[in-house]
Amino acid sequence: MTSPFEELLTRVTRLRGVLGCIVVGESDGIIVDASVQVGVEGQVVAALAAALYRRARITSEAAGLASVAFLQLEAERGHVCAAGRDGLVIVALTEARAPIGTIRAAMLQSVEALA
Amino acid sequence: MNTKVAEAWVEGPLQRFVDEARVRFALLLHPNGQVLGQFGFTRAVDVMAACALAAAIHASAAQLGRELEGRPFRELYHAGRERQIFIGESSTARGPCVLLTAFDAESSLGLVQVYFREFQRALAEAAPPLELLGPPLGGEQLERDLNRSLAILFGRLQPPPAGGSSNPSA
Repeated sequence: MTSPFEELLTRVTRLRGVLGCIVVGESDGIIVDASVQVGVEGQVVAALAAALYRRARITSEAAGLASVAFLQLEAERGHVCAAGRDGLVIVALTEARAPIGTIRAAMLQSVEALA
Repeated sequence: MNTKVAEAWVEGPLQRFVDEARVRFALLLHPNGQVLGQFGFTRAVDVMAACALAAAIHASAAQLGRELEGRPFRELYHAGRERQIFIGESSTARGPCVLLTAFDAESSLGLVQVYFREFQRALAEAAPPLELLGPPLGGEQLERDLNRSLAILFGRLQPPPAGGSSNPSA
C-alpha cells in the first residue's frame, strides 16, 4: 500500500542536496510520512521544525502579515525549510549548497497537494 | 518556576526536561507512588493525588500491555480539550521511575517525546548506584516513605545529600 504523500515526498527528495523530507502534524509534531537519509533523526527534526513553523505562523499572523508561505532556516551546514497548510507541515532538510530556489518551488507545489 | 525534588540526583534531568519541553506540570515518582520530584504543583495534597493516580494508571497500562502484547506498555498519552498528559517509564540503577507530565498548546506530543528520550538518558546517567537493597516495604513503611517525600518536597524536611537515598529502609 502506498502512502498518499509518496509522490509529494519523491518530488522533494529527488532534488539535489535534499537530505530528507518529512510531513508532520503542526500541532502535535508527530510524523505523518517521511523519507530521510540514514543518520537523520527524523522524529527530532520533525518535532522541532513543526514547533518552529507553528511559532512563525503565529508571529506572522500577530504582526498582521497573514500566514507563512515558506520558512527557511539557514545554518552553517545546511538549511531547514518548511511550508504548511491545514495543520500539516512539509519539512525539508538540505545541504548548504542545495538549490534552495528549486526546493522552495517544489515545496510550494507540494503544499497545494496537502489540501 | 523551579522543580522541587525529594532526591537531589533527579533535579538536573527534571529541570532540563521542564525547561526544554515547555510543559505545565511534571511529576517524577517511583512506580509505588512515592514522589521523587515535581514541577508546577503548589499543594502537597495535589502531588499526593497525582502520584497515586499516575502509579495506578502506569500499573494498569503495564498489565494491559502484558495481556495484549505480552509486554508492558511503557508510555501512555491522553489528549484533552486544552491539556494533554503523557506518562512514560524511565529505567535507572535505582529501579524504574515514572514521569507524568501535562502540557498545552505551548508544547506538543512530538516535543515531549523527543525531550523524554533525553530525560531518560540523563536520569539513567545521574542515578547513583543502589548500595544496598532493603527488605520489601510493608504498608506502614510505604506510607511513612510517601509522607517523608512529600514533606521534603514542600520544605517541611531537609532533603538527603546527593547520592543518598530517601528510603530509610535501604
